Amino acid sequence: MKTVFTVLALVALLIAPLIVTDPFYVHLMIMVLMWTVLGVAWNILGGYAGQVSFGHSAFLGVGAYSTMILYLNLGISPWYGIVLGGLVSALIALPIGLICFRLRGPYFALSTLAVAEIVRLVALNWESLTNGPVGLLITTLPPVSLWGEPLNWESKTPFYYIIALIAAGALGITFLLARSRLGAYLLAIREDIDSAEAIGINTVQARVSALALSAFVAGVGGGFYAMYLRYVDPDAVFSISLSVEMVFIAVVGGLTTVIGPFIGAVFLVTLGETFRTHFLWGHLVFYGLFMMVAIRYMPEGIWGRVRKLIGNRVGVQNG
Amino acid sequence: METLVQSIVSGVLTGSLYAMIGVGLTIVFGVMRIINMAHGDMVMLGMYGAFWAHASWKMDPFLSIVLWVPAGFLGGLFIYRFLLRKIVPAGELNTLLYTAGLSLFVANLALLIWSGDYRTIKLPYAIMPLRPMGIAVPIPLAIAFGLAILVTAGLYWFLVHTDTGRAVRATSQEPEAAALMGISVGRISMITFGLGTALACGAGVLLAPSLYLYPTVGEILVAKCFVIVVLGGLGSVPGAIAGGLILGLAESLGAVYVSVPYKDAIGFVIFLLVLLFRPAGLLGGGKS
Amino acid sequence: MWRKFFAGLLVLSLFVWSGIVGAQDTLKIGAPQPMTGPDAPFGDKFKKAYSLAVEEINEAGGANGKKIEVVIEDHQAKNPLAATVTEKLITQNKVLVLTGGRASGQAVEIASVAQRLKTPYLVDHPSADIITAKGFEWVFRNNPTGSIYPQAFNMYISEVPGCMPKSAAVVYDNTVFGKTIANSAMVFLKSKNVPIVNDEAYAVNTLDFKPVMTKVKAQNPDFLLMVAVSTTDAILLTRHAKEIGVTPRAFVGFGGGFGVADFANELGPLAENVFSSAAWSGNPNDPPTKAFYEKFHKKYGIYPKEHEVEGYASIYIIADALKRAKLTGDLAQDREAVRQALLQTDMSTVFGRVKFGNWAGPLGDQYTNQNTYSPEHSVLAQWRSGKLLNVYPKTNAETDCVFPDPTVKR
Repeated sequence: MKTVFTVLALVALLIAPLIVTDPFYVHLMIMVLMWTVLGVAWNILGGYAGQVSFGHSAFLGVGAYSTMILYLNLGISPWYGIVLGGLVSALIALPIGLICFRLRGPYFALSTLAVAEIVRLVALNWESLTNGPVGLLITTLPPVSLWGEPLNWESKTPFYYIIALIAAGALGITFLLARSRLGAYLLAIREDIDSAEAIGINTVQARVSALALSAFVAGVGGGFYAMYLRYVDPDAVFSISLSVEMVFIAVVGGLTTVIGPFIGAVFLVTLGETFRTHFLWGHLVFYGLFMMVAIRYMPEGIWGRVRKLIGNRVGVQNG
Repeated sequence: METLVQSIVSGVLTGSLYAMIGVGLTIVFGVMRIINMAHGDMVMLGMYGAFWAHASWKMDPFLSIVLWVPAGFLGGLFIYRFLLRKIVPAGELNTLLYTAGLSLFVANLALLIWSGDYRTIKLPYAIMPLRPMGIAVPIPLAIAFGLAILVTAGLYWFLVHTDTGRAVRATSQEPEAAALMGISVGRISMITFGLGTALACGAGVLLAPSLYLYPTVGEILVAKCFVIVVLGGLGSVPGAIAGGLILGLAESLGAVYVSVPYKDAIGFVIFLLVLLFRPAGLLGGGKS
Repeated sequence: MWRKFFAGLLVLSLFVWSGIVGAQDTLKIGAPQPMTGPDAPFGDKFKKAYSLAVEEINEAGGANGKKIEVVIEDHQAKNPLAATVTEKLITQNKVLVLTGGRASGQAVEIASVAQRLKTPYLVDHPSADIITAKGFEWVFRNNPTGSIYPQAFNMYISEVPGCMPKSAAVVYDNTVFGKTIANSAMVFLKSKNVPIVNDEAYAVNTLDFKPVMTKVKAQNPDFLLMVAVSTTDAILLTRHAKEIGVTPRAFVGFGGGFGVADFANELGPLAENVFSSAAWSGNPNDPPTKAFYEKFHKKYGIYPKEHEVEGYASIYIIADALKRAKLTGDLAQDREAVRQALLQTDMSTVFGRVKFGNWAGPLGDQYTNQNTYSPEHSVLAQWRSGKLLNVYPKTNAETDCVFPDPTVKR
């Protein structure tokens, strides 16, 4: 049953841009998928490992900047750049993890805030690397040929498929993680870190792995951001509000589920667009309200609640 | 030399206000282990309270503290009783996320209602600073300093010399033992949250004439708050006071002697260092 | 999952569809602006300015036989949203031309999208040089770039005897705006061998400038240059500078915040004699400017400043181009026609003269379609008794400069 749904979903993902041709809606779908990737990244750490991070935009930003800098300064094609960006994020996650994981729960969350702010300030002031507040702008993307035909970067379609691929990959990673030993360790840590330690789990190693994975995914998402929006500046990619939006997506969509972040992303983008165009004000108020409502009445998130309603036919590991 | 003294004076004055904000946050954590992400927004509400008292009723903003501190207390009681109480049992993670949502809600509601226009409070007696021995001491900040000391002293007295205050400290040290002693932990939690919010609002009132008003100022303040309470040790009132002063001094001296663009980073770096090497706070009075 | 996906899309499309302005036969101008969020007050200024301009132009017969219309979309001061709404305006609302943006970060996004989707974009206010320095042939700018802002100040200190600073402290915000202006001023000062004794970048919306000013005071600068993109920073910079006791011969402010009425309202006597170097302070010797002032005030109850005038002027420039463009009904062709018409622009607006060209800016940026009269638009003004009066260049001056600042005890 699950496989049928998965296959159908993948097919839908593949043919969506052929059905929906209006570039604006394709753009919205791309944004939903990009947010899904970011939500997945946060979910790995915040959902499965139970480590709340309020500074995840740091990894997004590092990925975005890395991709940009590699392309603009070294001419490395963003195709590879995106992956490299993810790797750079994962790399910086290691020392961050080793430092911050000495701390528990809320202390960890606070430290992530501090780290993210420090990273932002560095990006803002290290002009020779990042061009400071002016930011980096891509005017032309490198020509890439697929099956003999050069890709048209002016169209949305190539971007759609790239992000669809990344999103599917991210969801796949979550799926595999949930069924893996590391996943089990993380859930144990999430429940009760002391007991987890007591039964012999190396919690630092497990958490750092989760962080590195999470940072990688966020970095890849960041790299895509850079490629798609073609402009990064420190305030845009290292902002606290981006971090909060990532939290929102994962929490409202469904922590510790595979599909939760996707639901959360759809919700975020739809909500955002609706309020933005209709009421012309106030949508952030609803983000806050929804988050409170979600935690209070649906801490398992929308998808978590849906699963409960359908009946828990599958265990918590299978999302 | 004058520069050094000026920096120190500025740092201490600003630090005292930071301290007041930090104390509110730390007592809430001490008793309930809640990290209230919305604390900065409570300060913001206090600031706006002072502003409107001045703009609408021509009340001196410093006087309005007698209005807004009790209001903050009641507000805190309300928030705890009707919103937070059900969330706390769900765990630290959820509480943290919940208060983050609350913060987003309050800040943007304020933005909606009062618009993003910056506002400042203009006080006729506050145009030029005092200059004792050539050191500039802005008048509103000096008054705020004095009042902050008063309020904090008042809090101290409360915690040490009243039954309720002692109950708060007991619950903060050992909630189970306190419950066994007959203390209603739920009631104490509610009162503590009220106190924390009252202090935040009060600090906001005191800050308003020296800063400017802006609905999302809570964001910046909450970050500083956390540095303060961690510096001093989560849960420790004297720690928070010390932490506030230290942060004020570090920022002031750091800007002058180290680097202006990285001035905000200084606080965060200290924060991380303390979290790593002395998680119980510089004075060791905190809980982990 | 896919059901949810398409259901979500359906819901979304319903809302978006209902949000699209009804298909009237008007010439549409798209304007992404921050309408909610912290920058909302600025978006509101532009909305008012656009409305007034549209009203006047339509009353006078519109353009090319049709009425014009400005479609504003909220980007909340976020770059990705700016990209989103620009796309929306171009593909859904099918606008002929874009304007607006407000902050440079968003404007860069808008320019990037406009360039790629081949829609003309007339920048009215954002000042980052990069927007017209990337060779984008679809992007035009009426207002001066950040590096041009200090022009009038530079002329003043060079041309008026005795006004060249002996030393200068420069305090600026760490944004594109602040850095560009500060750089431009410092490059000029260095070329005149003026030592820069302080070069301090601060974070926007810093709550406390006393430490910075303490540092500045220690250097005892002859001139204090302050750059602030935010009004409150401008106010606090000045207030704290005077509180700490910095005593230069002149306080010079760069940036919109130094030119708004709030500056004088909040600072009272502390604002006296502070110079304000901005993109436009209104040429009072100009009857159309006076008329605009009064008309705006009559309609909205406030006097227009930099933002309003820029928005108003840009609609007039666009309308002028629309009148000259040969519109056939084919969207792509029409946009190109508008672009060609913009290239031929040669007119005067309340903001000043307009003619777009390719030339090199003061910091060496190669501009494309930047208003060639931009250097003229930079004006030096001074606060006197709560009023902001132009003092340099003489052709724009309303009164004489007060220099050195007598209220500062040295």
